Amino acid sequence: MKKWICVICGFIYDEAEGLPEHGIAPGTRFEDLDADWVCPECGSPKDAFEEYED
Amino acid sequence: MCLYPHGFIGCGMAGISEQKRCEIDGTVFNPFSPDFVREPHATWLKLVSEYPIAWHRELNMWVVSSHELCGDLLKSHDFSPNYRLWEHALPEKLEAEKLDFDRMTDHSLFMVTQKEHLRLRKLTMPAFSKPVMSQIDATIRDLIVERFDEIGSPEAFDVYTEIASKLPVRSIARMIGVSAEHEAMFQKFANCVVLAARINLTPEQRETAMREGQEGIDYFREQIALRRALAHPGEDFLGALIAAEEDNDSLSDWDIIALISSLITAGSDTAIDLHTYLINGLLSHPDQYSLLKQQPELMENAIVELLRHGSMGKFPFFRFAVDDTEFGGQQIRKGQSVLVNLSAAWHDPAKWENPQTLDITRDLNGNLVFGAGPHFCIGTYLVRAQARIMLEEFMRRFPDAELSGQDGDLEYDYAHHNARRITRLRVKTNLEPVRKVA
Repeated sequence: MKKWICVICGFIYDEAEGLPEHGIAPGTRFEDLDADWVCPECGSPKDAFEEYED
Repeated sequence: MCLYPHGFIGCGMAGISEQKRCEIDGTVFNPFSPDFVREPHATWLKLVSEYPIAWHRELNMWVVSSHELCGDLLKSHDFSPNYRLWEHALPEKLEAEKLDFDRMTDHSLFMVTQKEHLRLRKLTMPAFSKPVMSQIDATIRDLIVERFDEIGSPEAFDVYTEIASKLPVRSIARMIGVSAEHEAMFQKFANCVVLAARINLTPEQRETAMREGQEGIDYFREQIALRRALAHPGEDFLGALIAAEEDNDSLSDWDIIALISSLITAGSDTAIDLHTYLINGLLSHPDQYSLLKQQPELMENAIVELLRHGSMGKFPFFRFAVDDTEFGGQQIRKGQSVLVNLSAAWHDPAKWENPQTLDITRDLNGNLVFGAGPHFCIGTYLVRAQARIMLEEFMRRFPDAELSGQDGDLEYDYAHHNARRITRLRVKTNLEPVRKVA
């Protein structure tokens, strides 16, 4: 499981945790999010995300 | 629904023609009126409920006020912050006529293309990483503690003079690593950058501001050259920008200097209001001040709620239509300017229950306090850190503080170009008098 960071606002999408409050189940891979999915913090599109390592 | 002033009920409907557009004038929204600056709530409520989007006949711009439309607009690629797209923008200078200040501006986050903007944001990411931000936290804390030491233990003091006007530019200077001996030069550079970004300057005034900024540009070019000559450019903010690399791409000197200017534009003048509105909001709601003292873990939420509630922006900020487009049921022409009226949006009852109530426990999910979309505030971390450390220090030193008089003897600068700028806010510290040793 990987983490992804929004380069615009720093929001981190953690695949292990998903975003249950937004209907995204834990374990959902970033690549499996809808193509039109946007950052829940700032609304940026998927291509504003990069893989993130703690 | 928007009621057209001449009796139409049509704003918000798709496909309406230019002559039927929803229009307002200064009788609905006059941001220069002292009454509005002091008591803006009725105007905001009218705008969000009756005129969520309208053409302002006197300001010659669209005014977008509802929370939903402001969010959509900020995330839309049909609108850009690049003022060169404005229908009344001056033509771009020829290369030979450009000052260094113009070259810096060409590389600014507000001026570049969407693709270039994403490139810059990706390359600047390491400079905003946790290790760099932790260093910045420490330097800002030192600065704020020093300031409060200098304030000492008076019976009363003015928040604007003693805190708000002193911390913001110095915080950015510390973030970038400007040494104390160069602080005066940096302050002058910051003034020039802020001044040159104003929309209401004559071309001559703008040219003067840009020429006076040359010393600051020279300073940063020299600093960057010195760092580039080292084996490693350093672990701090500037070093991280210089070292940043992705797919054999890196930031140019102008990219870095432009980023510094963007931080100044976004985080110096506006942060003056940050400090006054945070303290005014808390001390004018003693129950919320008590709650924050009892539950300091609410701090992050409290800062965003205080900013939402205070809504210090008079003219929050602008976008320009990239092309002819329909938005919010209105036809917007290429090059027209759009005021993103976030101050009104933050008080939109369709989004916020009891928007005039300050509630530091409020669920702030989906807020637009730091904007949204590709230009989401790059200085969010700096703003939050500055706000948190200042409030922690204020609460620790002045736990029983109150506003002086009824309202802190509040005064505004009614002529300020884009903020409901507070220029006096006096607080009583209610400290125990120190006994003098005989």
